[in-house]
Amino acid sequence: MSKQDGSTRQVSSASVDSSTATILHVDLDAFFASVELLDRPEIAHLPVVVAGRSARSVVTAANYPARKYGVRSAIPLSQALRLCPKAIVLEPHFEKYRFYSEKVMAIFDDVTPLVERLGIDEAFLDVAGARGLLGSPAEVGELIRRRVHEETALHCSVGAASTRFVAKLASGRAKPDGMLVIPADQTLAFLHPLPVGALWGVGAATEEALTRRGLRTIGDIAATPVETLKRAVGEASGRKLHDLANGLDPRAVNPRADEKSVGHEVTFEVDTLNSDELRRELLRQANAVAVRLRTAGWVGRTVVLKLRYSDFSTITRSRTLAESTDVGRRIYEEVRSIYEAIGRHAPVRLIGVRMEQLTPGEGQQPGLWDEDEGWREAEDTIDAVSARFGRGALRPASLLRSTAPLGDPRNLPRQEH
Amino acid sequence: MKFQVNRDVFSEAVSFAVKLLPQRTTLPILSGVLIETIDTGLKLSSFDYEVSAQTEIAADIEEPGKILVSGRLLADIASRLPNAPVQFSTVEGRITVNCGSATFTLLSMPVEEYPTLPQISEQTGLLPADAFATAVSQVAVAASRDDVTPVITGVQLEVSNNSLTLVATDRYRVAVREIEWDSGDVANTETLTALVPARTLQEIGKTFGHSGTISVAITSTDDRELIAFRADRKTVTSLLIKGNFPPVKRLFPETVDNYAVINTAELIEAVRRVSLVLEREAALRFTFTIDGVTLEAIGSEQAQASETIDAHLNGSDTVVSLKPAFLLDGLGAVHSEFVRISFTKTENPNKPGPVLITSQSSKDQPGADNYKYLLQPNLLLR
Repeated sequence: MSKQDGSTRQVSSASVDSSTATILHVDLDAFFASVELLDRPEIAHLPVVVAGRSARSVVTAANYPARKYGVRSAIPLSQALRLCPKAIVLEPHFEKYRFYSEKVMAIFDDVTPLVERLGIDEAFLDVAGARGLLGSPAEVGELIRRRVHEETALHCSVGAASTRFVAKLASGRAKPDGMLVIPADQTLAFLHPLPVGALWGVGAATEEALTRRGLRTIGDIAATPVETLKRAVGEASGRKLHDLANGLDPRAVNPRADEKSVGHEVTFEVDTLNSDELRRELLRQANAVAVRLRTAGWVGRTVVLKLRYSDFSTITRSRTLAESTDVGRRIYEEVRSIYEAIGRHAPVRLIGVRMEQLTPGEGQQPGLWDEDEGWREAEDTIDAVSARFGRGALRPASLLRSTAPLGDPRNLPRQEH
Repeated sequence: MKFQVNRDVFSEAVSFAVKLLPQRTTLPILSGVLIETIDTGLKLSSFDYEVSAQTEIAADIEEPGKILVSGRLLADIASRLPNAPVQFSTVEGRITVNCGSATFTLLSMPVEEYPTLPQISEQTGLLPADAFATAVSQVAVAASRDDVTPVITGVQLEVSNNSLTLVATDRYRVAVREIEWDSGDVANTETLTALVPARTLQEIGKTFGHSGTISVAITSTDDRELIAFRADRKTVTSLLIKGNFPPVKRLFPETVDNYAVINTAELIEAVRRVSLVLEREAALRFTFTIDGVTLEAIGSEQAQASETIDAHLNGSDTVVSLKPAFLLDGLGAVHSEFVRISFTKTENPNKPGPVLITSQSSKDQPGADNYKYLLQPNLLLR
């Protein structure tokens, strides 16, 4: 595959017709290293690796200058320092990564409800339905890249294609800070020169089995009868490789992949005991959770509060509602009352709101009365306004003062352009 | 302790005493039935801190005493005893039961650890037993079975002057019925309310259904509110559910112009038939026109069904979508040959107006009772 240092970078021209490339794969560039460098912009151009302090630690992430020396994730730190003695070693801060991940994922959620998260720093988005509102897939891709950079100062790369796996390959080729669009009719031309190792599901053993038979590129596999492939790598894998090599990947972007709950959580940069601040954060998250439920057409019946204290001990408390809901105010009232029932507590490092026991909202038996009717109407109105003017155009007054949940403005991420 | 008792009288008393005991209890001692000798015979009691049952029966007492035995086991034994006098005797904590050719030996549970039952002597009013039993069976179907919201798992009893109103709801339907109440010489100036667990009230209704008149007391002791029902030397008490019952009576419309009258049995049959193809929780679609009512089961890919039956429509054509189980509960409760289904209007475009189900003794004659069952339709998805 590519050397991951950007040397094989390939990006699209502005004129490309992206109308058939409706699946985006968005991947943050050198995510952990980039987050660390937000606080140290003066060394961003130098080789930097993120790794623990211990002598036996391995590289968690490396920035692009370090990758030029052959430094990769998961190699021992000692080896990385032999490859690049000048590399600056920074310690990882996983809570920060989660914080930035949530911010970026929230941008994706604004663009489309069809977001399938893959780990902390990448996601698939189906933007076929966004055309009327936001434009062509390439325009949406550029919008996401611009918003991610404006709102977090991080860079991401976007691959756009008609299938998930080609989109993922494309984003890999576009790195760093690029976008590559593969229109449907150019899929095979893009795929076939690539080495077999680029295919999903091809690990070292399979690659060895394929290259032993002289199959070195994806094009070679596409041209090989499926029966031959099955004999080489097994029944199921043979069929799958053949399909992928021919650009076939029927799996849709599935935002509900294993989704049994919808939740938000945030880590404070400074642990807090301020219950007003905690309540404000609960309100913000309850509304965010409700928006996600409404966009996906779901209702949830169990509200869960998660608190992590400064000593990292974590508690969760849940409450089941009389009726499933997608009303932010209802979720907030419940989660606030769960929080208040906890009473005195240690300083809070992380707070989160989650809805569980999800069911489709449509076809629900309505009740004879609805305590939340007023709030429901208000939130429907906010949804409608947000659809026209963007999320955040309208929000509860108590959330007007802060756009980010960080208690101390000095800890706000730097926004350098 | 030693006594002899009539087999049928004893069996009936034991089955009454254990009926209200919970299936599972945290304290084993609460699964027992307390049998004690009194001047007139025997007293049998059960109690789980929420509900208590007591009854007195005649018996020949040779030696007074008090025993506590496993309720379910005793009830099983009593119901299978041969037709002969039953003799109890205790020797050193072992209870011997002799009946005809059969002998049982049971272990007594520690009597001294058994809690004291609530003793209620006052009387708040009197109820006609048959009307009460019917009203409970009609209303309790609408009570919620979901413990998440305890207030609506009960039936709300509201006493004012000469009437008792029973109300129950699970948010999707409301059932209401009013019956006679005799408060004696005491004039109730204020409305008295009691929220009684629906399950308990249903058992009470069945137990006292043929008792003529039931004496009712609503009291509070040690800030625990409870209600007692007494008839035929039997007493049942229940703690009341705490909390405010939602003001559901105001959901009923004052007047309704648009309604249909249908033969109850025909409609029940048709609903049961057509809903066979429905997926769980799905609703049936009812189209009322001058030609009758058409039931349609739609939405499942495997199968569909429809049926049209007679209906006398008064007003304009109407389409509603109703959950069959909820409708059947209401139809089963009207107890009349015909049923009137009235359609209320709503100002909320996202929620259809509720339908009202009432009894109808003939095509043109509304029923004499004042039972009302209000049901929230689903959204029409098509």
